[in-house]
Amino acid sequence: MRPLRSGLPLDPLGSVIAILIGVALLAAPFVTYRANRIVSGEGRMLAEALPVLVAAAVFAVAFGAGLAAALIRNPLARLAAALVGLAAIFPAVGLSAVFLTPSGNSFARISPSVGFWLLTLSFALLAADSLTRLRLGPWARLAALATAFGAVALLLLSGAWDGLSILKEYATRSDSFWREARQHLFLALGSLAAACLVGLPLGMLCHRVRALRAGILQALNVIQTIPSIALFGLLMVPLGTLAAASPLAAGLGIRGIGAAPALLALFLYSLLPIVANTVLGLNQVPAVVVDAARGMGLSARQRLVQIEIPLSLPIILAGIRIVLVQNLGLATVAALIGGGGFGTFVFQGIGQSAIDLVLLGAIPTVALSFAAAIILDAATELAKGSA
Amino acid sequence: MIEIEHLTRRYGSTVVVDDVSLRVEEGAIAVVVGTSGAGKSTLLRMINRLVEPSAGRVLIDGQDTRTVPEDELRHRIGYVIQGYGLFPHRTVAENIATVPRLLGWGSKRIAARVNELLDLFQLDPAEFARKFPHQLSGGQQQRVGVARALAARPALLLMDEPFGALDAVIRAKAQEDLLAIQRRLGTTIVLVTHDMNEAFQLGDRIAVMDQARLLQYATPTELLTRPAEDFVERLVGTVERPFRLLSLTGVQAALEPGGAEGEPIALSDNLQNALSQLVWSGRESLPVADPNGVIVGRISVGGILAHGRPPA
Amino acid sequence: MSAFSILTRGLALFMLAVFIFAPQLFAFAFEPLTANNAPAIYNQGSLLSLTLSHLRIVVGATLASTVVAVALGIFVTRPAGLDFLPLSRSLVNVGQTFPPIAVLAIAVPLVGFGEKPTFIALFLYGLLPIFENTLSGLTQVSPLTLEAAKGMGMSPRQRLFQIELPLALPVILTGIRLSVIISLGTATIGSTVAAKGLGEVIIAGLQSNNVAFILQGGLVVALLAVLIHDGLSVAERAVARRLGRPADETT
Ligand SMILES: Nc1ncnc2c1ncn2[C@@H]1O[C@H](COP(=O)(O)OP(=O)(O)O)[C@@H](O)[C@H]1O
Ligand SMILES: [Mg+2]
Repeated sequence: MRPLRSGLPLDPLGSVIAILIGVALLAAPFVTYRANRIVSGEGRMLAEALPVLVAAAVFAVAFGAGLAAALIRNPLARLAAALVGLAAIFPAVGLSAVFLTPSGNSFARISPSVGFWLLTLSFALLAADSLTRLRLGPWARLAALATAFGAVALLLLSGAWDGLSILKEYATRSDSFWREARQHLFLALGSLAAACLVGLPLGMLCHRVRALRAGILQALNVIQTIPSIALFGLLMVPLGTLAAASPLAAGLGIRGIGAAPALLALFLYSLLPIVANTVLGLNQVPAVVVDAARGMGLSARQRLVQIEIPLSLPIILAGIRIVLVQNLGLATVAALIGGGGFGTFVFQGIGQSAIDLVLLGAIPTVALSFAAAIILDAATELAKGSA
Repeated sequence: MIEIEHLTRRYGSTVVVDDVSLRVEEGAIAVVVGTSGAGKSTLLRMINRLVEPSAGRVLIDGQDTRTVPEDELRHRIGYVIQGYGLFPHRTVAENIATVPRLLGWGSKRIAARVNELLDLFQLDPAEFARKFPHQLSGGQQQRVGVARALAARPALLLMDEPFGALDAVIRAKAQEDLLAIQRRLGTTIVLVTHDMNEAFQLGDRIAVMDQARLLQYATPTELLTRPAEDFVERLVGTVERPFRLLSLTGVQAALEPGGAEGEPIALSDNLQNALSQLVWSGRESLPVADPNGVIVGRISVGGILAHGRPPA
Repeated sequence: MSAFSILTRGLALFMLAVFIFAPQLFAFAFEPLTANNAPAIYNQGSLLSLTLSHLRIVVGATLASTVVAVALGIFVTRPAGLDFLPLSRSLVNVGQTFPPIAVLAIAVPLVGFGEKPTFIALFLYGLLPIFENTLSGLTQVSPLTLEAAKGMGMSPRQRLFQIELPLALPVILTGIRLSVIISLGTATIGSTVAAKGLGEVIIAGLQSNNVAFILQGGLVVALLAVLIHDGLSVAERAVARRLGRPADETT
């Protein structure tokens, strides 16, 4: 039991969030204005970044949401406050880009600044805390994810953010953006699929043949330990040699640099979680259940398909979740060896000191990983429920 | 001496311990029995203030426990729980040394005390001092748990189902050992159990609890012969009642002058055992011998049976 | 560990040390990979100093992460911090979906090129596994053990330092190992933002199309990571043994 406290019943976490909001509103620039793409920018406070009435409205809404965070403990009400806050600042930052760009000037760049990011962080924290406390079921979490993505998609399609510099970066390379997106997904999902095809049977084999288990898991463990660029580099040499020696391999697109070593490295990284979790999953199937199935005359194959795999599915799915999130992140590094993907923008951006370009690559990567984690967590939970 | 006065504990609107008062004399063992959920553990934990009372107070040797800082109070009270809670990362010796160390004893004094306790509990220091808890059997863990609680020579020992995790044979031995050690050290003990046999074997006085209330607090004999409520009567067991009563009475009480044939019964034994020997040997009476083997009289079936019923 | 694995590890360590101190001895092995008379051994800096600065940044960042993450883990498991526990758990979950490279890339515009953004990325990303393991280590201490400690009159502080932290230590060490391994990799990528480290060798190879550079950089980084991982695992097991196997006390 929590001892009753005297005085104002302030929520500790909510108070921290309220302070963050206060700092964001009063002490940090809302957006950054730059005369062109490369020069360093200058901050614009909320009051200067928007028409005065709009600025006042945004200020009031954000301030109110902060107060609600500090004073209200009901998670639904806190969630509502967070969503109202986000609904105010997201369109506002787009509007501010239109407001600040001198008419006819196509060089000026407006990008969200510390204040905006702090506000986003505060409301996201508040929303995340409320959602955690609400203990949503898997379907509700998926619905929440879909709603969030839907809302952002709507903002993007409506053109409300078109004035922001990150979308100007996008506008000048929309073709390559979608090409790299496909490539990114191809690298992450292709290596995952290959790892499942190899890893699941390998895991079952390790489960059956104890003698193999330690050796295989140890070898995979060593591979996991090798940093990504190093592994990419190590694989370039044999693949390059292979391409040089065999026209067939070269004809299949296998070369020392490019997608082939990246795909192979991601595949190798993926094996450990899949094999290890398959072994773990099969191991935790209670021996009595398998024994009972055997007693009822199920064949080894029937036992595997009807009993062992369904019962170990949640753990195997947890392995796949680890792999997918890991691959979506590691695929960014593939760009360094010409493998493409969102990393292309990140590294180009680093090279040109263009933060918007970095964000153009980083934000979709994070969004993808985030969505993958939520979707697979929900799937794991659903599998647990049905197993 | 412990005086519990009108002790009450509420969680929200549910009353878990309801206005319980009782007194435990110096050097006595009080056993609290009752079904699970009766509030026994809560009552016990209010004595060392692991649970703060909602009302009422506890006096130890006349001193209100609320006037002593919590931790200091607990240093002075031994505490043994079911499962023991031995520290898995510390050796047997380090576990036993816990409270002496908290009290800042010198290391020589601690080592001597640890060895003394290990000897007392029949654990060879050379073999056990450096073992970790997971290397011990259940019975050994239990002994270490009690030794640890006694390390700083507390005048009071609280035990919450201390034998609950042991199997029957080891439990009986552990109960005997506890009695022997308690008689030797004179420690006052409050012990919680849901096992009636344990209560009758160990308790100088037994407190029966049900649904947060203390139904009766009395000697074992009183509990059998004058149960305060139907619940107490059912709890002590109508079938076992006569035999429990006999087991609480010494041979002396039914000693008759004269002699008899057969293997003598010890004067220090109880009437239940004497009856058992009579039935088994098929005799009406047997001689009784004092500790020196001198026959001091005899004991008969009829004489014993008179003690197996409540006084008229 | 078997004699064989000790031998292979010892040999790997020896080879790595020789290569780092005197890479020229191995030039013959890398020569076949070069073209147009390109150098076979990295010649834009000493491998030794690159290795040292690589390790320095990893060790520094890990130390900082450990202090902060363990302190945070302790805070959210005390009564005063319990309000932050659910959120901090989900934050760690979300945080780990951020690729380390994204953190690195976003730090550059904020603090400029060099070691700073790398240090920040290593520090931030290194917090997650240590914090997560501190939490699970502290929360998996048996309630029975804590009840006994409290019943014997240990103060909250004594319980934390004498019971909870020692029992959680092996799990915390695992978190530190995970963090170090991730940091070794991220520091390699840090070379793209001009942090001094072994990634430089690989990047230089990629830029000048010199496969020999790529291979030797990859080998050194890979060996270093595998050996450090091994060494930390051994340390973890030793600590777990010294603290007694944390097993269920109830039998
Ligand atoms: N911290 C607590 N909060 C709420 N209820 C509690 C708490 N501790 C104990 N109880 C309730 O008090 C009752 C008595 O518990 P306890 O003293 O442990 O019983 P016993 O030891 O006799 O089995 C039980 O119904 C239990 O659920
Ligand atoms: Mg109890």
